[in-house]
This record gives sequence, C-alpha cells and structure tokens, in this order.
Amino acid sequence: MSSSCQPQSPAVAKSEVVVEGECPLLAATFAYWDNILGPRVRHIWTPKGDQVMFLSDGEVTFLANHTLNGEILRSAECGAIDVKFFVLAEKGVIIVSLIFDGELKGDKNTCALSIILPQTELAFYLPLHAICVLRLKHVIRRGRIWMQKGYNIISVLSLEIVSIMELLASMKTHSVPEEIDITDSVLNDDDIGDSCREDFLHKAISSHLQTCGSSIVVGSNPEKVNKIVRTLCLFLTPVERKCSRLCRSGSSFKYDTGLFVQGLLKDSTGSFVLPFRQVLYAPYPTTHIDVDINTVKQMPPCHEHSYNQRRYMRSELSALWKTDSEEEIAPDSVLHTDQAFTPDLNIFQDVLHQDTLVKSFIDEVFMLRPGMSLRSSYLAQFLLLLHRKALTLLKYIEDETQKGKTPFRSLRNLKTDLDLKEEGDLNIIMAMAEKLRAGLHSFVFGKPLYTSMQERDVLATF
Amino acid sequence: MIGASDVVALTKEDEYSQAIPDPWALPEEFSIPLHPLADSNPWAKTAYAKFTKDFILISEFSEQVGPQPLLTIPDNPKVCGTFDLNYFSLRIMSVDYQASFVGHPPGSGYPRLSFVEDSRVVLGDSKEGAFAYVHHLTLYDLEARGFVRPFCMAYVATEEKKIMLQFQELSLRFSQASECLKAGNRRAFAKELQRKLRDLEYTHSVLQREEGLQREAGPQCIYSAHTVEKANELANVEKSIFEHRDLLRQISSYHHRPRRDPHAAACNKCVTECWSECEELLERYAKLASPFCFNEEERRTEEGQHQFDEEGVERLDEGDDTSVKRRLSYTPQLIKAKSTKCFDKRLKTLQELCDSTFYEATVELLKETERSFRGDLCYMHTRRLEKSLCRKQRVTNFLFEEEVGDDDEEKETLRPFCAVNHTRDTFPLSNPPPIVLGTELLEFDQLEPSPPPVRSSTVRHTQDSELGLVESHFESSPSDQTLETQESSEETKGSFSSDKSGTCAAAEAQHDNSSDLTPDPDPERESSSEEVETTAGGEEGDQTPVSFLDVMCELEALQENGSEGQTQPLLLPIDTACCIPQEGFLYESEAQICLTPKSPQPCQISVVNQEPQSLFPLPDDYTMGTPCLQNPAAGLELPVGSLGDGVSHTSAEDGSDCTISTSTGSDSTALSLGYGGVVTLRQRKKAGHGALRFVRQYPFAMQALWCLLSGRTLVVLGADEGRVRRLVSALALFVPGPGKYGEKVQAWLSCSITLTDLQRWKLIGLQRVASPVGSNMLYSLSRYSRYISVLDADQRTLRCPPYRGHLLTNIADHRTFIRRGATYFLHVQSTLCHLAARAFLFTFTHHLHLPVCSTEGPEVVEGRRRCFLQKQLELGEEDSQILLYLSQLITQHYLHTSTGHTDAAPLFSFKYSTSLLYKHRP
Repeated sequence: MSSSCQPQSPAVAKSEVVVEGECPLLAATFAYWDNILGPRVRHIWTPKGDQVMFLSDGEVTFLANHTLNGEILRSAECGAIDVKFFVLAEKGVIIVSLIFDGELKGDKNTCALSIILPQTELAFYLPLHAICVLRLKHVIRRGRIWMQKGYNIISVLSLEIVSIMELLASMKTHSVPEEIDITDSVLNDDDIGDSCREDFLHKAISSHLQTCGSSIVVGSNPEKVNKIVRTLCLFLTPVERKCSRLCRSGSSFKYDTGLFVQGLLKDSTGSFVLPFRQVLYAPYPTTHIDVDINTVKQMPPCHEHSYNQRRYMRSELSALWKTDSEEEIAPDSVLHTDQAFTPDLNIFQDVLHQDTLVKSFIDEVFMLRPGMSLRSSYLAQFLLLLHRKALTLLKYIEDETQKGKTPFRSLRNLKTDLDLKEEGDLNIIMAMAEKLRAGLHSFVFGKPLYTSMQERDVLATF
Repeated sequence: MIGASDVVALTKEDEYSQAIPDPWALPEEFSIPLHPLADSNPWAKTAYAKFTKDFILISEFSEQVGPQPLLTIPDNPKVCGTFDLNYFSLRIMSVDYQASFVGHPPGSGYPRLSFVEDSRVVLGDSKEGAFAYVHHLTLYDLEARGFVRPFCMAYVATEEKKIMLQFQELSLRFSQASECLKAGNRRAFAKELQRKLRDLEYTHSVLQREEGLQREAGPQCIYSAHTVEKANELANVEKSIFEHRDLLRQISSYHHRPRRDPHAAACNKCVTECWSECEELLERYAKLASPFCFNEEERRTEEGQHQFDEEGVERLDEGDDTSVKRRLSYTPQLIKAKSTKCFDKRLKTLQELCDSTFYEATVELLKETERSFRGDLCYMHTRRLEKSLCRKQRVTNFLFEEEVGDDDEEKETLRPFCAVNHTRDTFPLSNPPPIVLGTELLEFDQLEPSPPPVRSSTVRHTQDSELGLVESHFESSPSDQTLETQESSEETKGSFSSDKSGTCAAAEAQHDNSSDLTPDPDPERESSSEEVETTAGGEEGDQTPVSFLDVMCELEALQENGSEGQTQPLLLPIDTACCIPQEGFLYESEAQICLTPKSPQPCQISVVNQEPQSLFPLPDDYTMGTPCLQNPAAGLELPVGSLGDGVSHTSAEDGSDCTISTSTGSDSTALSLGYGGVVTLRQRKKAGHGALRFVRQYPFAMQALWCLLSGRTLVVLGADEGRVRRLVSALALFVPGPGKYGEKVQAWLSCSITLTDLQRWKLIGLQRVASPVGSNMLYSLSRYSRYISVLDADQRTLRCPPYRGHLLTNIADHRTFIRRGATYFLHVQSTLCHLAARAFLFTFTHHLHLPVCSTEGPEVVEGRRRCFLQKQLELGEEDSQILLYLSQLITQHYLHTSTGHTDAAPLFSFKYSTSLLYKHRP
C-alpha cells in the first residue's frame, strides 16, 4: 500500500464493529463528493476481530476516494443507485461501491457507500455479490430520505453494514460447499422413510423448487437440520449453494435475507421467530420447513411476492418520509406507523399444488442402490430435465409473445405442449424459468395484485 | 354558464386528486416503482440501451486529446448504433486506477518505469443502459509522458448481471489479452530503446567531435559560449544515455518483480522470450563501456559486425563473404537538442506500440472472446449447467447428448493457448479462479478456421493453430466421404477385421484408404496438407511436428488419454452387478447380440442360419425390377422370442456372406450426418426445424419416431436427394446413440442395403432409382422389410408396426403450438433426457435384474422387469420397447467402456410384428 496515503484532516469518524469469527470484510466506507474539496470520506466501519489483512485508515480513505473518481461525470436518473465493482490488483483489494445522489448540508452530492475486501476473497465474494448489493441498495434508499431530512445517515447505514459483516463472517465458516456429497443427504438413505416421512420429503423438495430454491429449515437438532439443508442444496446450482448456509449448533444465526437455503436452530423454547420484513425482502418467495414437526409452508409465487415486497418497501419508505424525528426508527416498525398499509402477516401457506416431477423422482431414486454414484447420476438427470424444461418454457413464451411485445394468452396450450398439466409441475418449471428471466411470473400471470389462483382461473378460460 | 363547481364535478376523481399533491407523499425519486420494467416485459433489458449486441471497446487515455475510443470488436458501426463511444470512453477512462507514482521518484536519479498491475472495474451508465467490464492496462512508450500510455479494454453489454455472473471468465480472457499486448509492448519498447541508444551514441560522437574541433580551434583556457553550449549538450546526451540504459535495465527486470495480481494470466514463454531479448540488448549496450569514444570509424566497424533485419533487430553477421548483402534498415539519427513540443509529435498507434504478432494475436483473442460471450445470458447459463450435469451422467450421455469432455478438457478449452499460441503448459496461473458461471466453451465448430495470427521469425509458434488445422481438415474433407462410409466399404468388401473405434485410427484409415475410395484425390486437400508441413516452424529449438497427420495423431492421443482418464474413475463407483447378469437376461429374452467381430462368444452361440421370407407385400415401388440375390444360401433364421421379438444372432462373417458385393455405404454420395466431423449442437438445433416440420406434416410422425427410439432401422426412401437428406437430418435427432460423428446415420445411399447396413445404421436415406440397380435396391428393401420401417418421402407413406403408446405423444403431436424449430429442439431434448433417465433407472435398479433367491428362474426375473415397466413406470407394450432398447444400449455401452473399449458395437435387433402402411392424406 502506498505510504503517501495520509489520513485526511479532520480525522474521519470510524466505527469498529465486533464480529464473531473471521470477517473477510476489511472495511466499509461512506464517502461523498464535496463540491469544493472533492472526494471526502465521512465514515469508516471496520470489523474488530481476526483479520487476514489490515488496512490503515489512510489506505481506506484513499480507496474510498478512489471510488468516487470519475463520478463528476455522473448523469444518472434521479434516485438511481449505480454499482461499481473494482478489483485493484495493485492494492490487492476488491471494492464494491454503490453510487447515489444525496443531500448533504443543503447541497446535492454524489455519494458512495463501499465495502472493501481482500482480492483473495474474490471467489468467495462473487456469489454473494447480488445479496450484498440488494441489501445495501435498500438501506441507501432509506438513507437518502434521512439525508434529505437533514438527519445523520450513518446510523441508518450502520444497521445494514453490521449485518453484512456478520453475514460474510458466518458464510466464511458455515456456507454450503459447492459440491455436496450425496451421502450427507437424505437421498442416501436405504429407504425413503428412514430419515423422514416420504410425503414430507416430497413436499419439502417440491415446495423448495417452487419457491426458486429459496428455503429456510428450522429445527432443534442441528444435524437433522443440516441434513435437510444439504438435501435441498442438491437441487441448486453450485453458485446457489455458495449462497446457502448451514445451521450452527449452539446458538443460531439470525435469518439473513437473500440466502438460498439457510438452516436455523430453534431456541430453548422450541421456537424461532422469523423477521417478517427480512423474509419479505428476499428476492424470491421462501419455503419454510420445520424438521421437528415435519411441516412445509410456502410463500405465494414470485409475482405476488414481488408485488407484496414492493408495496411493503414503498410503505416503509413513506413511513420514513413522514417521520419528523431523527430518533432511530426500527425498520420493522413500519407496520405500526403506516395506517394505509396492512400487510398480510400470514405469508406462509400450505403447499397446495401437487406435482409429478418430484413425486416420481423421489419414488424412483430410492430404488437405486445407495452408496454409489447411481443416485447422483439420476439426480443429475433430473436436474438436467428441469433446467431444459425451464429453458423450453422460456423459449415457448418468448416465441408466443415476440419477446414480450404481446401479452401471453396461451397458458393452456403451454401446459399441453410442454407436458406441464399438473399445477405443481408448472410451478416448479416457472420458478426455474424465473431465475433465468426475472419478471416472468408477473408477465405471464398478469396483474400482480391478483392471487395466482385467481389469475390462472382467468387465463385458463382463454 | 359553467361554474367552478361543475368543472370539478366533471373532473375525474383521480385526476383531481393528482392535481393537489400530498405534501406528505413520498416523492418518486425516493421510492421504488411498484411495477418495474421487468414485470411488464422480462425481455426488455433496459429502456435506454442504444445498442443491441455486446461489443468490446478498446480506449486510450491520450495525453493529447484525452480519452478516446480506438477500436471496437466487432468492427462494425452498426453494432454500437447511436451509442456515444466518446462519452463512454471518457466515463470508463476517468477512473484513476493506477494510483502509482510515474516519473522521477524523489531521491532517484533516473526516471522509473512503473510496473503496475492491471485493474478490473465493472461499472455502468444506467442512463445510457450500458454496463461494462473494463480492464485497465498500461503500455510503455518512450515518447509518452512518464513513458506510459494508459489503455483499457471493455466488454460492453446491456445487462449488468451478465457481466457480474461471468466476471471471472471475462477477467481471465482479458487478462490473457492484456498480457499478450504487454509482452508485445515490452519487446517493442526494448527495440525503441535500442534505436534511441544508437541515436544517442551517434549524437554523442558527433557532439564530441564538434566540441573537440571547437576546443582546438579556440585559444587555450578560454571557452567560447558556443563551446560551453556544446559541452552542456554533450553532458545532456551522456545523461540521457545513462537514463536510457537504465530504462533498458528496468524493462529487462520486468519479469523479476513479484506479481501482485493472483489472477494475471501471463504466458511464461512470452515473458521469457521477451526477457531474454532484453537481456541480450542490455548486455550489448552494457559492453559499450565507453560510448563516448564512439566515432565514425568505430561505427562503421560495428556495422560490419552486425546486420539488421527489417525490424531493426540486430543479428550477428554470418560471414565476410556476405557483406555485400548487408543492409542497414535503421540508420542512427542525430538528436536535436530541443525536441518537438508535446502536441506536435504524433503518438504511436496501438499497433506500433506492440509487436505486430502480439497485437494481431490479441485482436484475434478478443474477437474470440466476443464470440464466446455473445448471446442471451439464460441460454449461456443453462448451457453451462447442462455441461456440468452431463459430466455427472456419463453412462447415458452417449444416447442423446453431445460429447462432454472431462474437467481437464474444460480447463484447456477455457484457456487453450496463450494468444500467440504457445502451448498451454506455459501458463503458470498459481491460483486459477473457480468458475462462477461460464461461457459456452470453445468448440471445434465454434472456432473459425483462422490461420495462426502471424508466423514471425521472432516468435516461436509451437503447434501453430492446431485447432485451425483440425477445423480446416474437417471442412476440407470431402463431404461425401465419411469415416463411417469408408469403414463400411472396407468391411463389407472383406471382413469385419477390426473394430476401429478410435478416431485416430479412423483418421489413419481415411488417409490410407483414400486412394481406394477416391481415385481422384482432392488436390486442394493435398496442397493444404503440404502447406502445413512446409510452414512448420523451423525456428531454433522448435522441433514440434506440425504436419497434418502429426497434429491429428497428437490430438487423438490427447483424446485417448483423456478418455482413459475419464472412464476409469467413472467405472469405480457404479456397481456392475446389475449389468453383468442383465446382459444374460436381456440377451436371453430379447435375443439380441452384438455384432462385434472380436467378441465371438455370444455371436457363435446364436448365429442364425436362415432368413425368413417376407410376410407382407411391399408397395409397388419396392418390388419393381428383378430381385437379385447374390448369395441366396446365406439366409438367416431369426428365432422368435417369447414376446414376439426376434433377434438375429449373427456374426460378422455371416453378415458379410449375405452382403451384396456392390452394396455398402462406400458410394461416393453417401454422407453421414456430421459431414465427417463431430455432430455439433448447432447442427442438431438446425435439425430441430426439420423435425418440427416433419411432425407437423406427417401424421404418422409418432410411429416413425417410435421406430427410431425402439431400435428399428428406419429407411427414408426418395428420389430427391435434398429432400431425403433433410428428412434424415431431422429424424437423426431421435436416433439413440448416434455416435460422435453420426455413425449410426447414413444420410444418402444409392445402392442396395444389406444386413450389415441394417446392423450399422439405424437411419438410412435411400435413393429411389428406376434402373436395374434400383430394382436390386428395392428388392433388398423387400427382403428386409420385416426388420425395418420404410418412410417413403415421395409418396408420404410409412410402413412400420403400429404404436399405441403415450410416451411420444408429447413430441410428435402435429397440433403442437410450438412455433419454432429451436423451441421444439429444446422440447425434444428434455423429453429424450427424461427417456434416458428412465432407461438409466431401469438398467441400474438391481433387484429387477437379479434373482432374489437361487430358486428364482429367469422367467420370474423377466416378469419382475415387465411388472416394473408396466406398473411402476406405467408403460404400455410399445413404450416398454423403447425403454428396453435404451436400456440395452446403456448396458452394452457401459460394459464396453468398463472393458476399455471406447465404442460399443451396435445392437442388432428384429421385431416380428405386423407392419401397417400409414398414408398421408392432405
């Protein structure tokens, strides 16, 4: 690191965050473009604990300033949050910067919220990039309102920065490996009912696939929870597995928005309280699996989830806008402040739709002898089938609608042509296609305020 | 008169309410849209993008005019549309990425070259709808400020996700390109330094002489102003010489510095070559211990010891007698005291900054990169996943999937060579990045047959453009002469002496037998082969054979090694218990046999002796002419199985006995599907169009597909070659295990078919001719009509056994609403994948094939198998036949692979059941 990087004067405010375990994050910074002095760093967050690499404040400041270079040319839409991603081999760091406009001291400024990691963590970080950006973007939306009101943005940002540090630290130790040995999963059981009931396993996997591979597994026994976590992760891509987390024995991690599969341990009272807001802010609907009582619940499909999520976000931002006090406003308190919005708190519903794809797979895979690669091969074939069906469905809709130029009106034909007559099968394939082409559910199922059932009834009449 | 209240009353409620904004309402700029663009149209990436296709942009931060675009790939103005490249260059180059000192550091006597690592940035311009992966690099230029010229190479796309998901691959590719440019630049820089040093030495000698003359001319101890000026000038030149020597030393030490970038993809060979050249130069100029004694005579003497090539690189003189041929391409120039102003001088172009070999190689590499990242992300993503999944199911891949290499192959194709085609082992990437999401890997079909970038005398090209050679071979090989055809010819003429499964062997066979098959060999091909041999690198130390055969054999050897490596671990985990006994059960019940010459045990047991008579009449066309059976004694008797299936247990010799001597696929018009090359995904996708058309146009398409999938040979008969070929190409999608080169398919045959042909090919395009030859041919059809299905393309009829199953209804429904062939191909792929999975399940479900107790007989096991098919998989009789056939293929393939064979001998099965004639009624 260059020795010419001197700390700025006056000294930059700094917060040290106590993080359990090794946090791969070197620092987080909030910088802005001062119209007279140029790039300035306002605040630095650093983890306090074991770190592989150390950056001095001067170096952090230098890097933070670096992120704003060139942003004097910024001509983004009002309210846009742009992401810049640097890999600076010369400095041996990765910087993720979110650039946005904010009002500081009555002036419009270009600001940057950045996180800095060592370059050696590139492979670790890349799969988690989308999650970090998603979460930082929303906290910036909140922060911009706070800035507009002349309040201190740092307190708003701190909440999410700390949370991301904890997430990265937890992923460092408990992330699901890219390759999972099938012997660590339920699919290695001699028979279908050995670890869990057949219908439970079927329902869990089916719902897991219907909710785009996003699931939370709760239970009292960490081994049991992790076995189901690994089983569900078998149905994910390697990158998605890297965004999944095993359950920690002893004390549970808290729920983290954006992870695909996460195992959570119940407390001594036998319960785990899920934060409504965070669950709703996940990019995909979630399946809730309780391995203690063998229940599977799922959130509504993607388009409803997306609609509910956006409504909630808008309400939260409105509530912040209407606040007339700088006192910390807890993110979840929006429920009580906004009288106009009453979200349906009962977001987890029973799995209603039956499928044939997973059902037959579960029935058949246990016929193959365990302990060899037969089941792995069969699983690979099953996943290949799902991916191909998803791509076929996508292409079918693409052809029918001329790449979205005309509305899609032939759901019945699609079901017949692609052999997706069972509602559960369609849900699974649609969910996989949604991951390939975001917004597909909303496009196909029309007005998002309808429930999926209502909408399909309407469409089926065509 | 209308009052205000009336106006209000006529106003719509929502408009009225919008007219008075709520002061507490959240402004849109702080909110998020309830219905984002993706919800209304998921295909609309962004509303603002002014270009449609991704491209690569090379920009420079010019010290004269600032950031400027230099080059786009593809070099087509239409690609960028109205997108403002100047503005975007300004945006991507305005990042201060170096942050390293350039020029004279404090306390240092000489200017320092800054060896900065490349930077990688992903940024976007949301307003323009453009996102870019930007790779910053620095090149050296003696004339530039601080000796550095900042450049960047950017991959510009409309999707940020596409870039982030493929960040590591992009980084890898652009690192390669950057290292290549930099290697070329260091060479060019060293040469420039060399020229500069020669200029300086020459200038120094001139100044020294002038100064001496002035000193001698003037009075003692009194120096005129002019003399002093000369002396200062001389001192400046001396200083400059030292500085440039130091620069040469610095550039020579480039490779000694520790690399800070763990993701740099430098080629050791390039670095070493460049280093050795610089070292040589450094040594030469270091030896000029007293350059200040340099005078005209010495210069002449030196010139006598050196000669220069076109690029100014010195070579040692070969001998005095060649001195007349010496020429000096670079004459040292006198350097003026005052150089031109910064803005007067012309900056070097990127080509001039780099050695031309390296520049062109870099551009080629970037073009290839652009090609490989072209396309929709979701297709690339799925393709990538498919490849990784296919790698886990090698047992069934041969049925309907493309050939998938092992992991090593993937790594090789991801970064096969350095940009100037040095061999891959020269890459020392100590920490190869794990792949997050890859591009479509390079395939033979994707590589254009481009020649090696440049065959420079200064760069040793080992294995120049191996891929290019292979590609050109595939393209230049006569389309109607496939490996399969020739093999067929050889075997049907003589005997089935060997099972040539290896491609190398096949290639050799092709080479050896070409004179037999083609009396007039293709002169183009020969010349190209010669050309390759003559252009083999004859550089020092490079003895790599690059002749056509050598390259082929090397490639094949690699493949063989790879296949050995991949089959071994594959076999370990799977239990063969269900396969080995199954072979017995299968062949007992279905009475099928491999027609493998070197595996005589089962063949000898079950040789059939008599050919059954045709049980049903053929259409007129089939029976026209005089039947001509050359060897009527060679009849075959096919045993009838318990289920009505008859299988010919025959040997190769038997097959050859009954072969009409003029038959075989050796006809020059015969063509296998792959045109002599690997059947690629692209070809199969194209075939999807034909398949969809076939399904739509022929109401009996389902029966035809069933024939193919259940192993019954389908003959497509027609007079129009193009039509038959198209049909065959479309139907070939449904041939299980068609072979890497489409060996199971014969697209066009203009002679009679034989029993051997039926065993060899599962789909045959047959020419209908109205001649004695034609009558023979039709007779042969009539003769084997019991065992084959015949699709008459001219009369639009199909003769085959009836199919009443439901497994294929989904891919052969002529009322399908699938519009495009590509979509239909995807649909077919997923259906066939499902079939393969079920066949796998059936094959490897142990308890189905093994007796539970010693008292259990084969019929009980057979019953269990049937029960499984009917009850568990809910398949009818005809559908079961598909599964059984696929299962047999899997078993056979698996057992052959486990015994070290790379290719399984084809199955030969017959089914005794009444055929029906299906007609198309327009």
